[in-house]
Amino acid sequence: MSSPQVNGTTTPANTTQRAPPVVGINFGNSYASIAILNKDGVPDCIANEDGERQIATALSFHGEEMYIGNQAKPQLVKNSKNTIVGFRNLLGKSYGEATSMKSTAAPIVEHKHEPAYTVQVLEPAPAPPSIQPTPKGSHAPTPLQSPPPELAEPSYISKTLTVSDVASTVLGSLVNSASDFLGQRIQGAVITVPARFPQKARDALSKAAEHAGVHVLQLLDDAAAASLAYSSLTAHPTEDRTSLILDLGASSLDLTLLSTKQGLVHSLASSHIADIGGDAIDDRLIAFFAKEFTKKTKVPLSPTSSDPADVRALTKLRLAVEHTKRTLSASPGAASCSVESLKDGLDFSGTINRLRFDIEMKPIYTAVSTEVKKLLESANLDPVLLDEVILVGGTALLPGLSTQLSTVLEESTEIRADIDPSQVLSRGAAVQAGLLFNLGPNDPLLKAFHEDCKALDAHVTTKPISAYFPSEEGSEEICLPLIASETPLPARRTVSFVAQLAEKEGEQALGIEIWQVNETVKVEKTKLEVDPEDEEEEEPEEIETRHRVIEKDVQLGALKMDVVGSRAGKKKKGPLQATIMLTIVINLDHSVEVLAHQKDSSAAPVTLKL
Amino acid sequence: MASSTVIHADITIPPTPDTWTPAPPSGAKIAEYKNRRLLPVGPAYLAHARRILNKKTFAEDDRDEELKAADAIAAGTEGPIEDDLGVGDEPESRDLLLLDPKDWKNQDHYKVLGLSKLRINATLDQIRVAHRKKVLKHHPDKKAGSGDTNDDALFKSFEVLSHPERRRQFDSVDPYFVDLEQDPPTASQISASPEAFFSIMTPIFEREARFSKIQPVVPLGSPDATKDEVEGFYDFWYNFDSWRSFEYKDKEVNEGSDSRDDKRYTEKKNKNERARLKKEDTARVRGLVDLAMAHDPRIKRIKQEEKAAREAKKKGGVVGKGKPTAAQLAAEAAKKAEEEKAQKAAEEAAKADAKKAKAAAANAAKKARRAARAAEDASGSGTPA
Repeated sequence: MSSPQVNGTTTPANTTQRAPPVVGINFGNSYASIAILNKDGVPDCIANEDGERQIATALSFHGEEMYIGNQAKPQLVKNSKNTIVGFRNLLGKSYGEATSMKSTAAPIVEHKHEPAYTVQVLEPAPAPPSIQPTPKGSHAPTPLQSPPPELAEPSYISKTLTVSDVASTVLGSLVNSASDFLGQRIQGAVITVPARFPQKARDALSKAAEHAGVHVLQLLDDAAAASLAYSSLTAHPTEDRTSLILDLGASSLDLTLLSTKQGLVHSLASSHIADIGGDAIDDRLIAFFAKEFTKKTKVPLSPTSSDPADVRALTKLRLAVEHTKRTLSASPGAASCSVESLKDGLDFSGTINRLRFDIEMKPIYTAVSTEVKKLLESANLDPVLLDEVILVGGTALLPGLSTQLSTVLEESTEIRADIDPSQVLSRGAAVQAGLLFNLGPNDPLLKAFHEDCKALDAHVTTKPISAYFPSEEGSEEICLPLIASETPLPARRTVSFVAQLAEKEGEQALGIEIWQVNETVKVEKTKLEVDPEDEEEEEPEEIETRHRVIEKDVQLGALKMDVVGSRAGKKKKGPLQATIMLTIVINLDHSVEVLAHQKDSSAAPVTLKL
Repeated sequence: MASSTVIHADITIPPTPDTWTPAPPSGAKIAEYKNRRLLPVGPAYLAHARRILNKKTFAEDDRDEELKAADAIAAGTEGPIEDDLGVGDEPESRDLLLLDPKDWKNQDHYKVLGLSKLRINATLDQIRVAHRKKVLKHHPDKKAGSGDTNDDALFKSFEVLSHPERRRQFDSVDPYFVDLEQDPPTASQISASPEAFFSIMTPIFEREARFSKIQPVVPLGSPDATKDEVEGFYDFWYNFDSWRSFEYKDKEVNEGSDSRDDKRYTEKKNKNERARLKKEDTARVRGLVDLAMAHDPRIKRIKQEEKAAREAKKKGGVVGKGKPTAAQLAAEAAKKAEEEKAQKAAEEAAKADAKKAKAAAANAAKKARRAARAAEDASGSGTPA
């Protein structure tokens, strides 16, 4: 096979590694990325043979050669009819449902009711085996397919590839890159898919992967992968939080509101907006540069023109602005865009600084933040209760986006991009792949990950449960949150805390009350003080501040325990205190058990059953 | 993940007022539940699914997992866990990292290798394991730039401890023990009570025992040791044969100096110094034994017992109703006296017999001589003159 990837620069295999032979694949509509687990068990996003971590999901045929990934993209300019892009979203769809996103690339044709592509391939180069996965029907029924031996001259033949053939070829090449990196055969893969993918599309994807010789451990939802990538980073993966996964890809925006309680993740709400994404940004950037080109050279170039010369120029520009976008994301300065012979033999070179870029992209950023607000509203979640926003997808890297989001969201919400947003999904998938691989191939629990399983459906609490501590009248009560709302059952939580004791020797009683509480948001409006000297301002500005307020609702029970205090501090002169471990368990049958015992004490724990 | 992770709440709660009494359970149930669909992701879901599918409670699941983990370790599937022979990990002080390898004679080699608990009891294998551990941790390649490497000091320590003769020399002057030797117990400390004597002296003699050429060493023993045991102990320690030597403290021959005289001078000085230190050490051990003997509560006890025995003997059989031991002693003494008497009588009798025999022999000899003379006279008269 004379594919150009053979001549790539694969990282030499490191045979001393003891990493599990698994790979996490983010198989996006426009870009894919692959991650493996290194020998420390930490996910690493790896580059393919071309040195790219963001691998375009594109396939192109030129002459005898087949190009996969980023090398296929430039083919869009000259060889667009033989270049296939944007095929992932067509998986599992019938021809009637399929609509091509891009007019520049190979058109979709019908092949046995499935969407397919027809490409021109130069024979007698043997067809790559990976593109003939279906033994029957995939080959174009042309007489030239087996030319007589005396006809040595190469000739073009038409080949019809179904969407799953293409997907299988691309997936195969991704897995090859990973196995070259690891130096061993990949034995399992977790592939991320959008949550909205119907079962048919999922089946088609796993079938395509099996054709490529990839054992699919699980098809994981994008949002779940992102959440896992972040929770595997932290020292407290079971920390309760509510996060918004903002996946801004090339062709769409996916918002998912996730509740992570005790490490268990479930989705509260999600939305999918098709026309916001990297392509929309490209379009605006192209329009901006096209205008500048026309201004500079007086050669008309309209972003909406359908003139073949214009289309080619715009495609060139589209490839070039990709680089401009990446430069802007990576560095605070201006970014350039230069294209040789853009139109009529005229070169173009322009720059755009960040401010200008942000002004141009303002409508898109605003659209994103509006969608975020909408989703929070539809989920009935106050912005104060949102703990973090996780940015996913290459486009989310743009710095103007997080600035815009921070103006919409409360201060308590953290916008997280500590993992490169373009690598989050594959890293999360790699962690999951490692987890499933370690289970072993025959573990019955594997079923729980890719079949409809009763473990998937869970009851969740609707109100938080907290511990209160009785104190002297008048002093402020201390509340210790135990179980958050939206916690799946069964749930268990152990909290340790320090109790101050009265200054007397021997055993003393310590009371703990278990309350169900209401979590509400209090909005306070404060008027800005008006500067007396500033006479122009007539109406004082109002500032809204929101607080999370916790109020007692129903007391579930109380328990009293005897503790013996000890003195802290070096010389045992500190205040008398005791460390208490409080465990609360809510069983499947909704019964509650509370256990309290003193740390390092042999006394039996005090229990309370409700 | 065997048991639930503990969250440390950063709060301090006030003391519970005395007036507080726990309210009875209100009987209120937790608010209504919602149904949600979980995303099958992460270790927490794995544990959740395991509990649900196996119908286990948290506690049962914890136990199962612990058993599984134990099985995995037993079967060795957890990967090769290197046996560190009980070397363990010791906390390292910052000073250890700043050791000057040139000053290796003054470093505590056991501490450098993290063996300060084992010290002289560390086996060669343990020293090897400890060295390997430290080298892996402090390799200059790992700490490039930070300067936090005591690689040379580590090497020196291993060099000393892995050579039996040099290790013995270092053990002789191990700074940890030398520090302990600095304050010997005073007479007032150990004579305070018998318990104090044993609690202070037992560890000291156990410590000193490491230098003995004869092993096992006779221990100090318990407060109710017999006379023979106590005597055996002091006998051993007064003849204590120590391998302790002081070569480690030798001054280096001035390097670069080829002068033979210089070398000989230093060697002579070192030799004298060694001999002096050895003498001091022998005197120190002897002093310890003297001190122990002077205040040993057992010796007092034994003396008293002997005294009591003597007194009992004096009183003879009169002591009928006394202590059984005293009576016994008295009886024994009486028996002994009788035996002695009998022996004396026998001896006297034997003496008398001997005298008689002697006299008889003398008489017989006289008779014989007389007879011989008479015979001579008779023959002489018979021959012509």
